[in-house]
Amino acid sequence: MLALKELLGSKLKFSLIALAIGLVVSLTMVTSAMSEGLLTGMSGAKSSLAADALVFQRDTYPTLERSILTANDLKVIAATPGVMSVYGVGHTFATVGSAEEPFDVRILGLGDRFDQLPIVEGTGEPGPGEAVVDVTAKLQGVELGDTLTLTPVNAELTVVGFTEDRRYVMVPALFVSLSTWEDLHVASVLGRVEDEGGADAEAGARMAREFAGSASIAAIELEDGVSIADVEREFDGSYALATPADSARAGNGMPEMILAVGGIQVVSIVIGALLVGVFFYITTLHKTSQVAAVKAIGASNAHLYRELIIQITILVTVATVFGTALAIAAGAGMPPMMAFDPDPVRWATSVLAIFGTAYLGSLFSLRSILRIDPATALGRTEP
Amino acid sequence: MLEVRNITKSYGEGRTRVTALDNVSFTLGKGKLLAILGPSGSGKTTLVSIIAGLLGPTSGEIVIGGHAVHLRTASQAARFRREKVGLVFQDHHLVPYLTAMENLLLVPHLSGRVTRTHRELADTLLADFGLTARAAHKPSLLSGGERQRVAIARALMNAPEIMLVDEPTSSLDTERGLQVVELLKAQVHERAMTCLMVTHDPRMAAHADESLTLIDGRATR
Repeated sequence: MLALKELLGSKLKFSLIALAIGLVVSLTMVTSAMSEGLLTGMSGAKSSLAADALVFQRDTYPTLERSILTANDLKVIAATPGVMSVYGVGHTFATVGSAEEPFDVRILGLGDRFDQLPIVEGTGEPGPGEAVVDVTAKLQGVELGDTLTLTPVNAELTVVGFTEDRRYVMVPALFVSLSTWEDLHVASVLGRVEDEGGADAEAGARMAREFAGSASIAAIELEDGVSIADVEREFDGSYALATPADSARAGNGMPEMILAVGGIQVVSIVIGALLVGVFFYITTLHKTSQVAAVKAIGASNAHLYRELIIQITILVTVATVFGTALAIAAGAGMPPMMAFDPDPVRWATSVLAIFGTAYLGSLFSLRSILRIDPATALGRTEP
Repeated sequence: MLEVRNITKSYGEGRTRVTALDNVSFTLGKGKLLAILGPSGSGKTTLVSIIAGLLGPTSGEIVIGGHAVHLRTASQAARFRREKVGLVFQDHHLVPYLTAMENLLLVPHLSGRVTRTHRELADTLLADFGLTARAAHKPSLLSGGERQRVAIARALMNAPEIMLVDEPTSSLDTERGLQVVELLKAQVHERAMTCLMVTHDPRMAAHADESLTLIDGRATR
C-alpha cells in the first residue's frame, strides 16, 4: 500500500527518477547494440553462413581472404566421414566503379545455398552475372535492377535482390553464384597483373582452369552425433576448421575489436548500474525521518524492507520498459550504416545489473536508517 | 499502569561514557497525563524512546500492564507499539503522501488489514478532532495545529494503553498549543489511557495531571 501510494502521490518526482533510470537503461542498451552491430558489420556475412563449420585451407585459418580450396579439396571434404553436405563459399574484393562515388564491396560466391539469405527486396536466386546485395549498398545509391560495374575486374553485375545484415569488414557483401565468383576472382587477379604490365593470356587461361570448381572455403553440415572435433580428426591437419561464429571473431583485427567493444559494454553496464545503486542509496536515505516515524508507530523492519522492494521493483520495471523502448526507437531511427544489433543476453545482463544495484543501494540505505537511534532518525531537536 | 523502575541509559565507554538517564523511577496510573519537563539534553526523549521500545535501557525495567517492555525483541517491540502504544512526535511526522484519513488507517494497515470498523473509527476520530472536512487533505494542505491533531488522532487508532507524546506544541502558538493539550487531556481521561507528554513549556505542563522534571538524566517529581 505505502509503496504504491508514495509512487502515485509523488508522480512528478518518481517520473523523473524513472526517466533518469530509463535513460541509463537506454544508454547501456544502445551502447551494447551498437557494439554488437559493429561486430555484425565486420563479419555478419561470415558469421551468418548456414553451416555447422567452415573449412579453410591449411594454415590460413581463419582468413577467408587468403584461403583457397580446389575442386578436388571440396570433393575430399565432401567424402570425409561425418560430413553430410558441403557447399563452397568464394571471396574476392572489388570496387563498384559505376557509382557516383565508387565504393568497396566484398563479393561472396555461394554454392547453391541462396535460400539462407533473408531477402528484403527482389529475388534471392541470382543467375550468371547477377547479384543479391546487402541493403546498406542502397546508401550508395544502388537500386534493384541496377547494373554495377566492378573495378578493377571490369565486369558487370545486375542487382536482382537485396538482403540484410550481410556486411563484411564494414562494406556491403555482394552474393553471386560460385561460377560468377570464379570469373570475378580470376579477373581480379589478372586485372592486378595487367595493371602491373604483365598480362599473359596463356597464364590467365591456365589460372582459369586451375580455379575451375574451386572456392575460398567450404561450408559443411555434419551428420547427427558428429562433432567438429570428430571431423577435425578425420582431416588430420589437411584443413583448418571452425564454426562460423568462431571464424567470424578471428582475423581482420576482430580479436582486438571484440576486446575493445567488450570493454565498452562492461564499462557502460558497470557505470550505469553503479549510478542507479548510488542514486537509490541517496533517495532512500532522504526518507530517513519518514521511515523512522512509520517504524515508531509499529512497522516491522520486514514490512519496511518489503515496501521498499515493491517500490524499487515497480519503479525500475517502468524505467526498464521506457529505456528499452527508447533504445529500440533510437535503433530504428538509425541509418543502416550505423549498425544496431540488440543482443537479448547483454540486454538482460544490464537490466539485471541495474535491478541488482537498485535493490542493494536502497536496502543498504534502509539498513543504515534502521540502525540509527530513532530519535536521531526522526530528526528530533531539543527546544 | 506504567512502571518505570531504575532506568539507566548510558552511551559510550570509559572516558567518553555519557549517562542520559540515571536511575529514573516512577509510576503512572490509567487515565493520567504526566508532563515530563526538563532542559535540552536532560534525557526526556531518551526516556520516551525506551518506554516505546525504540531504545533499550542499559539497566532497569519498564513494565506496562504487568508486562516487561525492555525484554522484547525488535519484532516484539514493533508489535507492542502497533497494539499498545500511541506515539505523537514533535514534528507530527505524518506520511506526506497520504491523506489525513489514510494516515489514520496506516496504523491498522501495519497490523495486517484495514476493516470497515477501522474506517468507522477513523471517521469518528476525525470528527472528534474537528477534521472531517480535512479528511481527504494531505499534510501539506493542513495547518500546523491540524497536522498535530491528525497525529494525535492517528495515535489513538489502535486504542493504545499508553500514549507517548513528544513536544506536541513546540511548533504551535500558545493558543493552539493549549487547545492541543486540552484535547489530549480529554482523550486520556475519556479513554482511561496512561499518557506521557514531553514538553519544555511549563504553561503546557500546568494542564497535565502530574509532572516530572528531568535534569541531567535524574528525575524529580
